Amino acid sequence: QVSELVQFLLVKDQKKIPIKRADMLKNVIREYRDAYSEIVNRAGKTLQEVFGLQLVEIDSKRHTYILINNLPRVEGKYLCRDEEKEKMGLLLIILSFIFMKGNSVKDSALWEFLHLLRVYPGKQHQVFGDVRKLVTEEFVRQKYLEITPIPLTDPQEFKYQWGPRSEKEISKKDVLNAVAKIQGKDPTFWSSQYSEAEA
Amino acid sequence: ENREAMLNSRSNRLTEALEEANALFDGVCRAREAALDAQFLVLASNIGKEKANELHSEMSAFDSTAFAEDLLTFMGINRTEETDDLEDDGPGGFLPRDAWKRMGEEALKYFKRAPVFHYMLGSFKSEPPVPKQRIERQKKASRGKAEQAMPAQLKKMEESHQEATEKEVERILRILQTHFENDPNTPISFFDFVIDPNSFARTVENMFHVSFLIRDGLARIKLDEDELPIIEPTKPSGAGEEDSRAGARNQVIIRLDQREWK
Repeated sequence: QVSELVQFLLVKDQKKIPIKRADMLKNVIREYRDAYSEIVNRAGKTLQEVFGLQLVEIDSKRHTYILINNLPRVEGKYLCRDEEKEKMGLLLIILSFIFMKGNSVKDSALWEFLHLLRVYPGKQHQVFGDVRKLVTEEFVRQKYLEITPIPLTDPQEFKYQWGPRSEKEISKKDVLNAVAKIQGKDPTFWSSQYSEAEA
Repeated sequence: ENREAMLNSRSNRLTEALEEANALFDGVCRAREAALDAQFLVLASNIGKEKANELHSEMSAFDSTAFAEDLLTFMGINRTEETDDLEDDGPGGFLPRDAWKRMGEEALKYFKRAPVFHYMLGSFKSEPPVPKQRIERQKKASRGKAEQAMPAQLKKMEESHQEATEKEVERILRILQTHFENDPNTPISFFDFVIDPNSFARTVENMFHVSFLIRDGLARIKLDEDELPIIEPTKPSGAGEEDSRAGARNQVIIRLDQREWK
């Protein structure tokens, strides 16, 4: 049962959409419901020991899980499809923008910023295609971004924040370091972001 | 419009806009225009509030425009002197094809992202190489087969030769043996045995086959009282070894031409 669950989780993780406990129960655990937590625990252990992956619950109310990489970072090229790479590049930029601007930004602010990088919501992008869809749907479904409507705004405006997957997969310190590297400055240049990142 | 630009603490756009509105209001004489003016004031005060918020913001000033420019540099933009808008390229430069890939490679270093799981067998990624191997193998296989077909064919012919010979030899041995079984103490005249009264060629063939039997020690040729050769099958095993050795030492040349045969 444990190995079945491990396989199930690995396959489900391909789309990077969080895995629901209900799905786990329905597809793998089924009649062994009572042993559920034991099975999940053991599966988590296997994932860690065999694959170096961590099974993390990102929503304790709705019981959804994601897999993250628990191995120490290595120098050198990462084995990854180009498409994936490019999306992660865009994502990092968005997350950086959000953090540096105080952890929450308005949609208009973000898109105005992306304009500067030749990324337009209404226009088909050479690399990303329908960027608006990628950002507002795919990234949100994967829990990298969280988009919530701002009350009392007309026309409706939204605020963009880091999603729970981002919180687990990357740290504020990492992001600040990335920004610093790109801008050729020391991370302490932005003192308040620095103190928040170090906290 | 350009909300972000107005929010920029360094910009006076908001003040300018307000001043412009003030000036415009002097020319207002219709209710609708007054309503528009009121709407504008609401917007302006909202922006003013946000601007105030930004000032009190915990974050140190972050210049997103500078960040964007540094990003473009990082991605490898080729900055040109011209400011013409060339198709997809914005003013100020040309982004290379791998710009976002470059960005992504850097980004991957920061994420603790679980690699996407693929089955080693039959995953989409490995599909292209597999047909290639198959093609190569097929080529090799078909080539091998062709080559093999040749020697196989030749082999077959040879075998059939050999087989035919062996069969004949066996047949003759059996005949010899049967004869001896029936009449154990009368060796057969060699000539009686091999000569085919109807065919010279057959006769020669028979002699040819008999020579095999002699060579293999399965039969023996002796000279009888009349100095005519007689043939008899050898007894299996036991004395066989010695006999075959002895037999091998003797070479007999028999000349037979058609006239004699007749």
